[in-house]
Amino acid sequence: MNRSTSLKISRLGLIGLLGPSLAIYAFVMIVPLFLSFYYSLTDWMGGPTKTFIGLHNYELLLKDEDFWHSFKNNVIILILTLIVQLGLAFLLTTLFVSKTMRLKELHRTVIFFPVVLSAVVVGFVWQMIYSHDYGVLNAVLKFMGLESAIRPWLDDPKIVIYLVTAPLIWQYLGVPLMIFMSAVQGIPKDIYETCELDGCTGFKKARYITFPLIYDTIKVVMMLSISSNMLVFSHIYVMTGGGPGTSSMVLAQYAYKTSFSSMQLGYGSAVTIGMFILSFGIVILFKRLAEVRNS
Amino acid sequence: MKANRVKMTGLSVALAVGMSVLAGCGGDNNNSNNTAPSNSANPEVNASSEPSASAQEPVKVTFMNMWPKDSTENIATTVRAELAKFQADHPNIIVEEESIGDQNAYYTKLKTLAASNELPDIFISKGSELAMFAKNETVAPLDDLLSADADWKNGFLPSSFNDLSSGGHTYGVPFSMLATSVIYYNKQFFADAGFSSFPQTWAELETAIAKIKENGITPIALGNKEQWVAESCILSALGDRFTGTDWFTSINDKSGAKFTDADFVNSLEAFQSLAKQGAFNKDMNSINNDQQKTLYFNGKAAMFMEGSWAIGSVMAAPKEIADNTEVAVLPSVEGGKGNAMATSGGAGSGYAVGVKGYGEKKDAIAKVLKALSGEGFAKSMAEKGEPVAFTVTDYDKSNVSPLAVKYAELSSQLQFTPIYDSYLNPALVSVMNAGLQDLLINGVTPEALAKKIQAEYEKTN
Repeated sequence: MNRSTSLKISRLGLIGLLGPSLAIYAFVMIVPLFLSFYYSLTDWMGGPTKTFIGLHNYELLLKDEDFWHSFKNNVIILILTLIVQLGLAFLLTTLFVSKTMRLKELHRTVIFFPVVLSAVVVGFVWQMIYSHDYGVLNAVLKFMGLESAIRPWLDDPKIVIYLVTAPLIWQYLGVPLMIFMSAVQGIPKDIYETCELDGCTGFKKARYITFPLIYDTIKVVMMLSISSNMLVFSHIYVMTGGGPGTSSMVLAQYAYKTSFSSMQLGYGSAVTIGMFILSFGIVILFKRLAEVRNS
Repeated sequence: MKANRVKMTGLSVALAVGMSVLAGCGGDNNNSNNTAPSNSANPEVNASSEPSASAQEPVKVTFMNMWPKDSTENIATTVRAELAKFQADHPNIIVEEESIGDQNAYYTKLKTLAASNELPDIFISKGSELAMFAKNETVAPLDDLLSADADWKNGFLPSSFNDLSSGGHTYGVPFSMLATSVIYYNKQFFADAGFSSFPQTWAELETAIAKIKENGITPIALGNKEQWVAESCILSALGDRFTGTDWFTSINDKSGAKFTDADFVNSLEAFQSLAKQGAFNKDMNSINNDQQKTLYFNGKAAMFMEGSWAIGSVMAAPKEIADNTEVAVLPSVEGGKGNAMATSGGAGSGYAVGVKGYGEKKDAIAKVLKALSGEGFAKSMAEKGEPVAFTVTDYDKSNVSPLAVKYAELSSQLQFTPIYDSYLNPALVSVMNAGLQDLLINGVTPEALAKKIQAEYEKTN
């Protein structure tokens, strides 16, 4: 047996090696997707009987105010996260690469720390922060003499969606930061040195060197951010349960609620598929936009 | 090359095994969904071989409930005590308890289990959920089990099975007769506001609320984050004051009544006007019903509304609060069609039995159910002052807490009206519950909410 054959993997071998992981992927991702598409065409209520009702669930879905309202909330969360979280992460990255920053390790650890916390814990902590009678936020406002701003934060339907976004931004700030930093470390030092010689500093360095050179990484991070933000659930479920009324309801919770609180598993599946289509649409749309910008 | 081929065969074998394991998993899942109807026949095949085995091997009976391990509610402590006694007497039956304190989480888990026909042997369930489980054939009808022991069956108050039956079958064994809407009020705060007793009319109540508010106290503590409190503990009774019980019967039988009927809209309007008046704490939609009691226990609120199950916790409250607490029901409303000496109540929940374990473990399950609902249990509940669904005449009244005595006096004059979420379809209840949160913060008008509920009602018809 010579070296070349032992290194070359035959077609059969390739399939054999890929097989198990593909099989697992198929059974936990692809099959459930098709199953839930099938359920979405029925009026299944959790019992032994499923009647095929065609696309009726989707007709209802198109006219379902709660569904679109939840989608709007998802979009608000998404836009806020993209702008505030990624903006902050980029700003911090440029700070971290600058020479003036002290205690870099400590800052990095502190910022990354919340990422490893359970979403439920974070939800509870922030619920306590916002609490009307015992919350830190109201206590701080009182201390600063801003008593007029004190309110039951999570009870105000107009602002609740922004308030539940804050913990999401805070908790996952560390992820884009880490990715940006590793990307920045891949930029050759001599580029920065050359530009410093040309008298380029601070903001200009970030704008004309760091940003274009890590643009591809930013794109990837934005994709990740979009896909994870379309699925947010735990924080909001813990903090408000979607309330007051439905004002902080997001798609994932709406799907969960229709499927398991109301037991409309058929319609709940339609919501899930609708959610899948919308997320997929946003990702594709975003990819188009990002490419145009690149060329 | 030969070695290569051997490797390949090994790989494909491994792959085949892997695939079959995965396929096996998939198959199982499908089975549990699809075999629900035939399942009721299946266990009988097993049953014939079981009794001999159960003589030696202990039978495990799973029991899911919503009483946290550290709960001070009388029902929880009594059930635990009876269970311990039962375990000592029946070493052959092991009751495995699972407790989930949060009501929403409890029902979510229950419905998820029901969807895959994995319901526990014994579990607590509301009537409306039971009706749905029954339709899906995931719970066992208990008619035979009850008829097999006439003394046990006839011991229950006749009306106590109402909430737990559907389609002519009984699916649950009641363990208590509860009112879901009782007003617990601090008579000191009412006296300070110039009321020596609880207001008798709606107008008086509004005046009292305004005065209490002037005194710097929250008139009504409400914790509606989990959304069922406003509906189950307030609207069920308030609605009946306006509409009368006939209206609800008509809604439930789908024989003409509508949620957009003026009477029901009026009840929503009355509820909203309380909120507009500032009767509730501002953070009502972000705290839960335990926190609403905390507000009351800390002397920050003059009253709260919850079911009769809260008596135990009120007695565990700080002494000056517990001693000042009185019970009442909502006052009469002008032009209302309902009886003023009534409140929403009934058996509400009961023990139900998952169809899966029923065939094999029928005898063991029957024994556990009797221990947790029969005379011994009922007596010990009655001695703690809890209203029971089982008739007990001769029990020791000396340990009954003063508040429970007051409640017993009150409830003896009361007529029980239907609890909305015990009867209405869960999808409808979930629309109503979320809508009430909006209603209380002026997010929706009573008319618009009534329309929304009616639309859902027509959809699920």
